Amino acid sequence: MGNTENFSQFRRQSKKGILVIYLNIVYKAFKAFWILLFIFIQKFSKLSESTLFYIYLAVAALFIFFLIRAFLIYKNFQFKIENNHFILKKGILKKTNTSISFDRIQNINFKQNIIQQIINVHEVNIETAGSRKAEISIKALSFKRASALKQAITISDKSITEETNNEEEKPLLKVGFLELIKVSLTENHLRSLLLLIAVIVGFFQQISELFNSFGKQDILDNYIAKNATSLENNIILIVGLFLFFTIIAVLSSVVRVVFKHFNLNVFVKNNALEIYQGLTTKNSVILKKDKVQHIIISDNPIKKKLGISFITFKQAISGKAKRKQEKIIKIVGCKSAQIAAIKTLLFPHENLENFSKNFSDLYFRNRLYLRGVLLLTLFNGGLYLAFEISPIFWINILLIPAFIFLIELSYKKQYYLFNDEFLLVGQGTIETHKTYVPFFKVQHVKLKQTVFQAHKNIADLVFQTASGKIKIPCISIEKAHKIYNYTLFKVETSQKSWM
Amino acid sequence: MIDSFQNIAVTAFPEMIKIDFKSIENRYLKVILINTFLVFVIAFLLVSFADYKGLFEFIENTIWIYLSMCLCFVFILLVKKVGFKKRKYAVREKDISYEKGILFRSLTSIPFNRIQHIEIDEGPISRLFGLVSLSVFTAGDSSDDLKISGLLKEEAKQIKEFISNKIDG
Repeated sequence: MGNTENFSQFRRQSKKGILVIYLNIVYKAFKAFWILLFIFIQKFSKLSESTLFYIYLAVAALFIFFLIRAFLIYKNFQFKIENNHFILKKGILKKTNTSISFDRIQNINFKQNIIQQIINVHEVNIETAGSRKAEISIKALSFKRASALKQAITISDKSITEETNNEEEKPLLKVGFLELIKVSLTENHLRSLLLLIAVIVGFFQQISELFNSFGKQDILDNYIAKNATSLENNIILIVGLFLFFTIIAVLSSVVRVVFKHFNLNVFVKNNALEIYQGLTTKNSVILKKDKVQHIIISDNPIKKKLGISFITFKQAISGKAKRKQEKIIKIVGCKSAQIAAIKTLLFPHENLENFSKNFSDLYFRNRLYLRGVLLLTLFNGGLYLAFEISPIFWINILLIPAFIFLIELSYKKQYYLFNDEFLLVGQGTIETHKTYVPFFKVQHVKLKQTVFQAHKNIADLVFQTASGKIKIPCISIEKAHKIYNYTLFKVETSQKSWM
Repeated sequence: MIDSFQNIAVTAFPEMIKIDFKSIENRYLKVILINTFLVFVIAFLLVSFADYKGLFEFIENTIWIYLSMCLCFVFILLVKKVGFKKRKYAVREKDISYEKGILFRSLTSIPFNRIQHIEIDEGPISRLFGLVSLSVFTAGDSSDDLKISGLLKEEAKQIKEFISNKIDG
């Protein structure tokens, strides 16, 4: 199979890699110094011939330096495979030697941005649970070599080899363009808007820094203040703005989803899921079955009507690494048959259909109401301090029913059920999330009680897995103890590897 | 040592409520009290400095600030004093557990086969009393893992040794 390529000797990536590395460096430099460029263009006319000449010279020197650097990075980047370890040597001045055992590798990703697509090379990222960024990132490999490398890594850690390879590969799931539009229209648009705002705020900060450095902060402030005052007394403007933001939110989710998940294909191969997707940056992830800690299946009312939902795969993360948006592995647009297929692949003995749901105690609802009241009080206090005009408080007429609605929903959707091996926790407000976790993947269990809960004989149960916490709030203490003991028993007698 | 390790057969269902938890060293209460006291001394110093600089001019009588701080101090001391009796731990054949809290109770158990590493720390004040704390880490986000404070140094070492043997064996 992979024997056409031999990785036992140290080898470099494809020569085209120099170009990829070079452009990468240039891009990074541009990102860091684009403000300088902006200033330069502004002052362009004021500079004398000779200074201009020196500036051009410096820039040219910089570009040549980048080129040399890219070449040296390429030259010093060598990798090989030796008795089930991936070994990487890199570094120009500071030499680094990395060695990763195959069974510690969590997933292998292929990526292709536009440049890599044009020159037809693939970026290979090898990730472990240890760090936030990919441990190993090989910038350019030909497709043949990349897939040979992938095979060498994924196959030699399992004894199962030839079973599925001869079969014609048929995707488990294929999401076409129209389907994708459907998915994107039913996304959580509020979240897309928030993401967009975060990006804009970041951009705005850079701009304001720029103005700051010119000492022209007041211009910007004035501009904003003027617009803000006109905003206050203009209802039409507010409605218009609302519509505008709605459209922006929907558009941004469509763009985001289409770019990220374009031409989504999922294959099942050798105990692993292979996910291919992306428009400008093509991405493929190989997800090893054993490395999945728990999965979350989510939908919302509209998605439910259309019969689609998405699956999020949670893998072990290291203690300090915050979960990054792009590292979350998600399959959008799943039909129920495909969900069943993925579930049987990951958790073969999962059969929770016939078990009845256990709901949280009423105390949970009361707690939610209490928190809601607190939040509203805080909000009103904030309004009082900020505006000091009474009409703004009419907003409560809208807010209070919304709160009640959301609280009732989240109480109704909070349930759990389990069989011998699995725990399923359902939760959500408008969206519904179902979390599946096998008991033996739990790292530790915790029972929590406030004084009031103790008085009512109720407790919260928290399962800590390597991929995050799973909570069952407010269940009776007897049940909590039973589940607690059972989980410990399951974990302690389990021989399966959890990672 | 004997009474804290119970031999429960693997197949027997481990029942958490029935096991005997062991209290931590009584001396540790002093450590807690001293630590709280120090925190409040620093807070007092900061507040009085701010008062001296005239930062609280909008309040008529600054004595209220000091009074409320004193009240807060007494309340926290009381909670810590009562809550101290609730700090208990248990080491069993296959897991380690820790119970604590009065206003916010919690009980945590970590099976040995999920432990990544164990740490023994000595705080500056704990050291005066010859006490250490034992932290147990698991994979993933371990901010919420188990930490038992106020153990005798010898005892902590023994527990660590015991768990290490269990993991390797």
